[in-house]
Amino acid sequence: MRPEVVKPGAGGGRFEFRECRKIIKATGNKARNLAELMELIRSASDASIYHHTQEYFFKGHIVEYTNDFAQWAGSVLEARVLSENLSNIDPFRQASAEGLRGELANSISRYLEKYGAPGNVLPGDEFYFQESVTIVFPAGFRALNLAEFLMAMRFVDPQSIYYHFYEGRRRLEGVDDFSKWIEATLGLRDLALSIRAIDPFMHSIEGVREHIVSMVEEALKEEIEVSGI
Amino acid sequence: MISQYRGIAPKGQLELLKILGDKFAGRSILNVNSTRAGGGVAELLHRIMPILTSMGIDAHWEVIEGDDRFFDITKKIHNALQGNLESFTDDMWDHHFEINCRNAENIDLEADFVFIHDPQPAPLVRFRKRGHWIWRCHIDMSTPQQDVAGRIMDYARQYEAAVFSVAKFAMLLPIPEFIVLPSIDPLSDKNRELTPAEIEETASKFNIPPDRPMVLQVSRFDRFKDPVGVIKAYRMIKKYNDCILVLAGSPARDDPEGEAVLAEVQNFADGDPDIRILLLPPFSDKEINALQRLATVIFQKSLREGFGLTVSEAMWKGKPVIGGAVGGIPHQIVHGVNGFLVYSEEGGAFRARQYLNNDEMLKRMGEAAREHVRNNFLITRQVGDYLSICLGAENAGKTVMEIG
Repeated sequence: MRPEVVKPGAGGGRFEFRECRKIIKATGNKARNLAELMELIRSASDASIYHHTQEYFFKGHIVEYTNDFAQWAGSVLEARVLSENLSNIDPFRQASAEGLRGELANSISRYLEKYGAPGNVLPGDEFYFQESVTIVFPAGFRALNLAEFLMAMRFVDPQSIYYHFYEGRRRLEGVDDFSKWIEATLGLRDLALSIRAIDPFMHSIEGVREHIVSMVEEALKEEIEVSGI
Repeated sequence: MISQYRGIAPKGQLELLKILGDKFAGRSILNVNSTRAGGGVAELLHRIMPILTSMGIDAHWEVIEGDDRFFDITKKIHNALQGNLESFTDDMWDHHFEINCRNAENIDLEADFVFIHDPQPAPLVRFRKRGHWIWRCHIDMSTPQQDVAGRIMDYARQYEAAVFSVAKFAMLLPIPEFIVLPSIDPLSDKNRELTPAEIEETASKFNIPPDRPMVLQVSRFDRFKDPVGVIKAYRMIKKYNDCILVLAGSPARDDPEGEAVLAEVQNFADGDPDIRILLLPPFSDKEINALQRLATVIFQKSLREGFGLTVSEAMWKGKPVIGGAVGGIPHQIVHGVNGFLVYSEEGGAFRARQYLNNDEMLKRMGEAAREHVRNNFLITRQVGDYLSICLGAENAGKTVMEIG
């Protein structure tokens, strides 16, 4: 089951910036080695699978890999090949948690067959399975046009950018809230496509902000320029 | 009160507090712990209570009373939950419960939300009247003495939810277990902005030269904080870069080994005039704040650690910290982004030399450190987390809650 769908930030033509907070829940399950990680991935709740993959970006910074499982495999188990494999899994492209779960577990299974299992990690270095409860609320900014959108984008909290750029993909079948509003309400399809082309895995939230600000600035500049030369 | 954090805490955290304040205005929240002064829990409650009250929440804080025997027992429980071997008799557990019975008669336990802090008052749940009861455990329970953990879990499972500081501190309980990371208060003396005159006053007081880089570690004189390791790292740095080393700490009254460790450190410093070992009186918050602002490189080279909030305190002053990869330190330092995690004295020395030779990196990582604390480790976030847990208690089973 996917997490409950929440409303996007666009309403009545305006873009209402919203943001989210995550309250982390411990599940009590922890993996000491790869075989346990694989088994626990198979039995973990959907919320836990999403938390360790899609919500990885909520941390606001890209470390070395693109989800918690890959990060643990790389930094604690030093299973670099597996980290690379797991990092290539796109959690937003899977239609269900089941599909995502299968892809993650199969990747570990293939690794175990080929390379064997590294030993147990030291106590304290285990992988702790978690879930989260999401609180969504108004961020205190709204935009009626592209210029206002640009100003707001410069000042909203990173958690607001996360909510619209990453979490929006869950609600809008892989599309972020920003480009959806820019296309549907402002009719700026080219700008929307440029924003949609930002690779969500290759940037920190601040990196995403910089890209969008720069793209919107360029679009605004073109709009206000008198001469077309 | 919340307005005092405007321009300091992220806007979103304040927006959330405003919305939650409107939602919970007039509702009652009771906190119960075992001491009003001393220790991190009391310090936290002293700072959280005025914020809750200013939001219109009917917030109360009660402290349980007990005799010396009770506190001896609870100290043993605390130690056993942290992994030390302690022995208990049924009579001791009976006394622990009996004292809680007496407190239940004297404390008004009527509230919409009741937060019971740590094991001392945990049995109060047996006297629950109404409201949502949440057990807040601040202790590292990752390797507890099992029989003691079992006794405490018998109480814990009677709560509606439990809250721990780090995932690895949590126990396997049949109730929701939330993780709320600790926080610092940017308005406290330990963390507020200081005037140049205040910083200068501390520099003069401790004879800190203004023109030489300072390497600093603030911590108790405790072997787990590895002060000797910091001196070793400093000596490695000194082969390449000029600097002074300041080791600053307060005597810990509950640490009988403190004096021995201090003597060990002084002995190891061997009269080096560039090593300043500062034994600060308790509540030297402003001096510690100034020292952190004066430092170029800050270590928290612990070998074992609870959460290690001194790391966030230093990061809040725009200093990227070199920290041991233990306890809660990796939650605060993102390696290579806003500081470095190290595993040896050599690693510590190497990273310090990187900082001392690269002003641009020092500045960039320092700014990232402050932003990381702003977004994750300020008290406004922690108050928001507690109230969100209250919201969650009233909306059990929901994974997404939209408010405002």
